[in-house]
Amino acid sequence: MTAVDNAKAPLATPAPRARWPLGSLAMALVVGFLCVTPFILVIVISFGQKIEGAGWEWAFTFANYQRFFVGALWPDEVTFLHLQRLYYALYYAVLASVLAVLTAFPFTYLLTRLSRRAQSIWLVFILASLSLSEVFIVMGWDVLLSNRSGLPMLFEVSGATDWLKRTGWFEVLREWGLANPRNVKFKTSEFATILTMSYLVWPYAVILLYPALSRLDPSLTEAARTMGAGPARVMTSVILPTVKLSLIGATLLLFVFLLGSYVTVVVFAEPAKQTTAVAVYESVRGSTLDAPFGAAQAVILLVTAAGFLAIAQWLTKRSEAR
Amino acid sequence: MSGLSLKYIRKNYGDVRAVDNVSLELQGGALTALLGPSGCGKTTLLRMIAGLEDPSAGSISLGGRDITRLPAHKRKFGMVFQSFALFPHLNVSDNVSYALTIAGTPRGQAAARAHELLDLVQLSAFAERRIGELSGGQRQRVAIARALAQEPDVFLLDEPMSALDAKLREDMQVELRQLQQRLGITTIVVTHDQHEAMTMADQIVVMSQGRVEQMGTPQAIYHQPENAFVADFIGKANFFDGVIAAGQVRLGDHLLQITPPANFIDGSPVRIAIRPEKAALGGQGANLLPAKVTFVRDVGPVRDIHLETSVGPMIVADSDNRQPLRIGDVVQVSLPAAAIHVFPRLQDKVAA
Repeated sequence: MTAVDNAKAPLATPAPRARWPLGSLAMALVVGFLCVTPFILVIVISFGQKIEGAGWEWAFTFANYQRFFVGALWPDEVTFLHLQRLYYALYYAVLASVLAVLTAFPFTYLLTRLSRRAQSIWLVFILASLSLSEVFIVMGWDVLLSNRSGLPMLFEVSGATDWLKRTGWFEVLREWGLANPRNVKFKTSEFATILTMSYLVWPYAVILLYPALSRLDPSLTEAARTMGAGPARVMTSVILPTVKLSLIGATLLLFVFLLGSYVTVVVFAEPAKQTTAVAVYESVRGSTLDAPFGAAQAVILLVTAAGFLAIAQWLTKRSEAR
Repeated sequence: MSGLSLKYIRKNYGDVRAVDNVSLELQGGALTALLGPSGCGKTTLLRMIAGLEDPSAGSISLGGRDITRLPAHKRKFGMVFQSFALFPHLNVSDNVSYALTIAGTPRGQAAARAHELLDLVQLSAFAERRIGELSGGQRQRVAIARALAQEPDVFLLDEPMSALDAKLREDMQVELRQLQQRLGITTIVVTHDQHEAMTMADQIVVMSQGRVEQMGTPQAIYHQPENAFVADFIGKANFFDGVIAAGQVRLGDHLLQITPPANFIDGSPVRIAIRPEKAALGGQGANLLPAKVTFVRDVGPVRDIHLETSVGPMIVADSDNRQPLRIGDVVQVSLPAAAIHVFPRLQDKVAA
């Protein structure tokens, strides 16, 4: 009986695959074309040349890359302006993704301890919040943090500003760039940029962490308790190590996602602390109109993201092998 | 080692009473099995003993010291979970030494102790393995070694054999019992498998619907069941409904003698039980029922003979294989007076 089944199986399975060999090939070509073409175009253009006042032309020059790393006037003069923008892109993205995952983790953990019904209500709510566009969210935070109508006004009216001044905290906030001589201010600041960015990806963080945390076997934490681990030790010695890979994975995904954020940076970051993504837009569509340099910056941003993913992959493999 | 004492333990989940007024005295060094069908509250009771659940009422004390509200991590009770709950991010040795690491034992010392314990469960060659690389039986041994690492005052096992196949289960029952006797540690095993309970336990607590039905040695539970539930749940039994008549039981047209005479008022509805191996074919004297053979299951050392009597169907386990039997044969079944257990029968059950 089994032998008969085995004999039939190889004959039966390849049939559906063989029916449309050209169809699936054509499909693969279309998808491949749509995916790869823009990508290759950007890479090719990044080696092109800007024509003053008339767009750009095909070429093979490393000038755009050189300009990114050491400035256009190298070797006479070295500037790190563009590297600095990349640094800020990394800086905001790292802090915002870590902040989002750190705050989403306890929330998601508690969420998975709720009843099934409560969990689904929360998840639907969080999924629904994903439909809000970045522009909409940034506008909301813009109002909330603006100097004349938002939190700073609330600080002033409620007397919190005076209290901060009396206790000396106001000077600390000024040092951090979160206050002008009269009142607290959140725009423009790193604080507002990072806060809004992490808010933006927070629902993603919950959704990325949810599967791992809901799969976490409650008997693992109970076993740790019976072996003398108090709540804090259970967290550090069982829960965190068990979901470590999910935490790293979620942080990385959000980090790569945030590396390209545009609206938040434009609205909340100080002009001197703008990011590569903003610079790419300016080069391609904005004031400078230098598509090849914009393309080079885009490629560098992409390679940076890929590099971080590769490092993470390597770290994960190493920790698994240990 | 001092014993564990449970007094009037109750656990409610909303309107549901999972454990109802359970009082137990467990001697130090003994292995007690909490036995009952699923949903009878035995695991909830074990979890309360471990400190993983708070009782709604009642108290738990160990060696005279009240530990009812003591959190699990301060009890020093080792527990083996049904799923084994081994930490997937630690290797076998680190799993076993977990309790010692938590307690701040120096690393070398903890590793040495882990090695000792793995030796005890015959897994010392597997110390560096990851949990994913172990079979079910090996995982169970690791879980046992891990629970013993902190030298627990009480050793708790929640359905420890349920994840193992039948053959391995029998071997592990014997092994676990020998290990427990060697260490002399007070142990509580939750199980729904009466064979497992009878193999391992010094005393069995039979539970049903959150209550203790009977507590005693395996032999006492088997041979002197205190009620119909225990008689039915532990081993096999034939049940017949009858009425008391002057210390005897009237079953239809038959009057059965009981020794000692049943202590019920005349006319009380009762249910009697007799083990299949206590009833016999043929024989003389009192308590003979005519019966017709309906089925014979011959499994070698013993034959299960299914019979239809005038008072209902019954099974006789016959280890004396000489008498040839065919379906339809008419035989006499003797029910020895001393082997008949008489239990009160509730009136509503008569109606049903």
